[in-house]
Formats: sequence, structure tokens, C-alpha cells
Amino acid sequence: MTALILLSALGVIALLAEIFSFKKLLYPVVILGLITTFVLNLVDWNTDKLWYGMMRYDNFAVAFSSVLIGITTLWFIMAENFFKEESSLTDHFALILFALVGGIVMVSYTNMTMLFLGIEILSIPMYVLAASKKEDVSSNEAGFKYLILGAFSTGFLLFGIALIYGSTASFDLPVIADFITSHNGAVPGMFYIGILLILVAMVFKVSAVPFHFWAPDVYQGAPTSVTAFMATIVKTAAFAAFLRLFASTFAGAGSVWIDVLWVIAALTLLVGNITAVVQTSTKRMLAYSSIAHAGYMLLALIALNSFTQSSVLFYSLAYSIGSIASFGVLGIVATSRGNDTTDAFNGLAKTNPLLAVAMTVALLSLAGIPPTAGFFAKYYIFTAAFASGYGWLVLIAILASLIGVYYYFRIIIAMFFKESTEAAIEVTANHKLLFILTIVLTIALGLFPDFIIRLL
Amino acid sequence: MTTYLFYFLSFLAIMFALMVVLSKNPIHSVLYLVLTFFAIAGHYVLLNAQFLAAVHIIVYAGAIMVLFLFVIMLLNLNKETEPHKSLWLKGMAAVASGSLLVVLVGSLKNAGQMQAAAPYNGSIGLIENLGQTLFHEFLLPFEVASILLLGAMVGAVMLGKKSIK
Repeated sequence: MTALILLSALGVIALLAEIFSFKKLLYPVVILGLITTFVLNLVDWNTDKLWYGMMRYDNFAVAFSSVLIGITTLWFIMAENFFKEESSLTDHFALILFALVGGIVMVSYTNMTMLFLGIEILSIPMYVLAASKKEDVSSNEAGFKYLILGAFSTGFLLFGIALIYGSTASFDLPVIADFITSHNGAVPGMFYIGILLILVAMVFKVSAVPFHFWAPDVYQGAPTSVTAFMATIVKTAAFAAFLRLFASTFAGAGSVWIDVLWVIAALTLLVGNITAVVQTSTKRMLAYSSIAHAGYMLLALIALNSFTQSSVLFYSLAYSIGSIASFGVLGIVATSRGNDTTDAFNGLAKTNPLLAVAMTVALLSLAGIPPTAGFFAKYYIFTAAFASGYGWLVLIAILASLIGVYYYFRIIIAMFFKESTEAAIEVTANHKLLFILTIVLTIALGLFPDFIIRLL
Repeated sequence: MTTYLFYFLSFLAIMFALMVVLSKNPIHSVLYLVLTFFAIAGHYVLLNAQFLAAVHIIVYAGAIMVLFLFVIMLLNLNKETEPHKSLWLKGMAAVASGSLLVVLVGSLKNAGQMQAAAPYNGSIGLIENLGQTLFHEFLLPFEVASILLLGAMVGAVMLGKKSIK
């Protein structure tokens, strides 16, 4: 709740900067505000307070909102170029902060109305930001596509919520959970279809196959900074919302949705990884890899046991740090070398060792190679799925991650073993700091994963 | 009497909704959509929710649909400019929405024997009760919705304004 109020206030302050002309100061103010919010958010640990019967700030909410705020802080350092354009600078700040508010609502809701509001508060700024490069046609297309398809999936969400309300007469998640236990198998068909429609909407938000068609185009068309935001914060928030709804409230009706999700997860793993192999654009490749990572996280949700929450928390943290670093390097390389194919990375290890090492660590983490964070993230997810007896799904996931190693290594090989005549790229001090931070964090999380895993 | 009215309004709503999809001319589609909204507003009146009915007509049929009409007229869309969709795409759409229809019908076919989750309360739709619910039970969502609206507004302004050269 503290985080919700502070971040909304920060967003309004960002808008006021235009009127009172302290635009130059805004960047440090927002970074400081985010760090303050991060610290004050941790104070809520172990308090487990229910706010107005709408938001429950339990340890799950604190952990996930801390991840969201922390990653946003890293994102702000990564995306400093996004805040260079004079005319819409304050709008960019405000929209990102409002989107983050939506993320906070999505990790802490206990009521369907809050779920809906959270998803919309997160999505609407994203639609706009995807289209924020106004003179670029592909950016416009990205924003438009995201808006139309996002609105369509919201329709599914509302239809599902309406059907569930119709059968339980409540929006309250505990009441709905009680309804499932008290009816014990004789739940009306209307309720089941409600669950499935909400499932469709949530699966769309995490961009799992077959609801992933928007993701590659939107990720490629949007400015790289916005793509990084969508791949990290939006995905983490969507998964937290997904878990809050399905791993607790709808867990009693698991027989309806687990089999469906099994197929979706298997398809996501295979289609995401195989399609990523044939991409020439690195940005599009990372978009498909982001689809594939949603598949791994779905594994933990299907497992539905005591490891589910902690393994998704760790996975989303490891994946977000890896994505921030890889999109950051990609953005720098693509702007200075003019394209984002694998060849653009040729010889980067000679010209810019820091960029190359940061990219390598990030890609190793995304591929799941020890001792990076990504290895333990995958390890915990697979353990969770295996403990619940989903051996086949784990096998598919392991095969899929082997395919993943191939396309991640293509870039690493280009950076280290290919020659290029390109000059060294100039990197700002902030970016250097960011890349050192991501390298340290990725290795540290890989060496001491217990810190995070024990939290939930 | 109310039952007949209910069926009549539902029939109208479904007919007009179908016409929205089927009519070739976008202007006709929008006008049919306005009629659909009126039929649904009729349902609100049947449930004794006059305020919702009025707001529904003012906001949807009044403001939003007029906006729709303006946009369509400004874009100068008509029958000829409608892009041709491939047969394959049409087939896939038919299969997907057909499956959804089958699932929905299957799950709702026993709805007649279902127990209502809460008994019908004739005064539930009155503006007094609406206000009580909105400002007591749903106070937090009501406040949080302001961030949604502010975000949407800022976004619209950002997309609309010219960038300084």
C-alpha cells in the first residue's frame, strides 16, 4: 500500500515537472523515489495487512513488488536515452510510473475488480509507450496491434469475471475459493467456463502460445527500452497475478485448467524456442525467447505445490535481470552499428569488453548455464514440476532449453570469435555501472540462490 | 409480462449485434451498435437500475458512439476500402469462434436449473445503493481507477501532441 501511494505520487510529480520546469532534475528525483519506495516497501514484510478487503499486502505481494520496483530502477538506468527527447519526457516518466502502479496492484489484489484495474493500469501506458516513436511506422503498428489485441483479451477477462460473479455472487477471491471447496465437484458449468476465459486473458498477458502472435511484432516494433520494460516488468506482474488467482483461489478447481495449461506450456516451450532459432533480428529473437521463458514459468504454475511461488519469484528475478542486460547491450549496439542482426555483434569482445561480458553473462543466465542465476531458476522450476509428477513436461522443457543454448551461443560466438572492422562504441558511465551491477547480481544470485528461494 | 419483455429485448440485442458484424458499411455497423446499447439499457431498466440505464445511454450511445462516427467519417471508410481477407483467415476465425460458441452453449445449457447465487433484490440497482457500494465496499478500486484514467489521458496527450523540433 505504501508503494502504491508513493509511486502514484511520484507519477504525479513527474507530470508537475512540466509546469514548474524542473525537467532536468526529474531523472535523479525518480531514481531516488524508486529507491525510497523499494526500502519502505520492505518495511511491510511479515505484516500481512488486508486493505479494505481489496488488497492483501502479504509476503508474496512484498516480494513480487520489490522485484518490480528493483527491476524498474535498473530499467531507468538502462533506458536513459528514452528520456532524452525533450517534448514528451515527463509523459514518459509518468506513464512508466503509472504502469508500475498497475503492477503493484496486480501482485496484491484479493478482488476481481482490483485485478481488472491492475491489468488495465499496466496495459494502457504500455499501448501508448509501444507507439511512442511517432515517426516510425513499425512503432505505430506495434502500439496499434497491442491495443486491439489487448482490448480483445480484456474482453475475455471481463466475460470470465462476469460468469464467475454470476455463479458465486462475489468478486472476493477468498469467497470464490470457499465456493469451490464447499461445492466440492458440483460447481456449475458456468463457473468452469469463467475460469477458462480468465485463463485465456492471463495467458495472453504472459504471451504464451497460442496467444503469442502479438508479442514478436510488438516487441520488435516498440522502442528497445519499452520492449525491455514489457519483457521484464509486465511479464513479472502478469505472472504474479496469474499465480495469485490460479495457484490459490482456483487451485481447488485444478482439474479444469491444469490439463489445458499443460498443453499451452509444452507448445510455448517448443514454438518459442524453435521459432527463435530462425530469426535474423536479435530483437525478434529475444522476443521469441521471452515467449519461451513464459513457458518455463508456466511449469511452476502447473506443478501447484509448495515450490510454486518461490520458484516463479526466483525465475522472474533472474530472467528480468538477464533481459535488462541483454536488451541494454542490444540497444547500444543496434543504435551505433545501425542494425540488430547477429553480425552487428561481431568482434564486440575486442572493441567493448564490458558490453561483451555483460551480454555473455546475461545470455548464459537466460540459457540456464551454471553458475549464473538462470541455472538455479530453471533447476527450481524443474524440481517443482518433477515433484508433482510432470516428468514428460520437464523432459520437453529440458529439450527446449537445449535449443535455447544454440541461439544464445550464436551471439556469444559472434562477439568473441568473429572479426570486425567497426570502431569501439562509446558507453556512458551510467550504462557501465548498470552492466557491472547486472553481472554481479547474476553471478551472486547464481552462487547464493537460497536468499531468494527461502523468502516465500 | 416482464418475461416477454426480457425475451423481446434480448432478441433485439442479439439481432442488432449480429447486424453490427454482418453489415458491410461501417456507418451502419456503428448505428446498429447504438441500437444494441439501447436494447441493453432496456435490460437495466427491467432490473430496476434506472441510473445505470441512463448512464449507459449517455456514455455509450451518446458520447462514445458519436466519437466512433466522427472517426469513421474522417477516415472516409466505406464498402470499397474494406480490405479483402483471405479464405484461410476466415476459416480459422470461424473454427475458433465456433469452438467458443460450442463451449459456451455446453456450459450454459443447464443454466435454467441453476440456483441463483444471490436472491434478486429489487432495490439493488437504485442510485442510493449503487453509491453506498461504490463509496464503502469498493472505495479503493474507485480511487485506483483515477490512476487508470490519468494514465490514459497522459498517454492520449503524448500521442497527440507535436514533437518540438
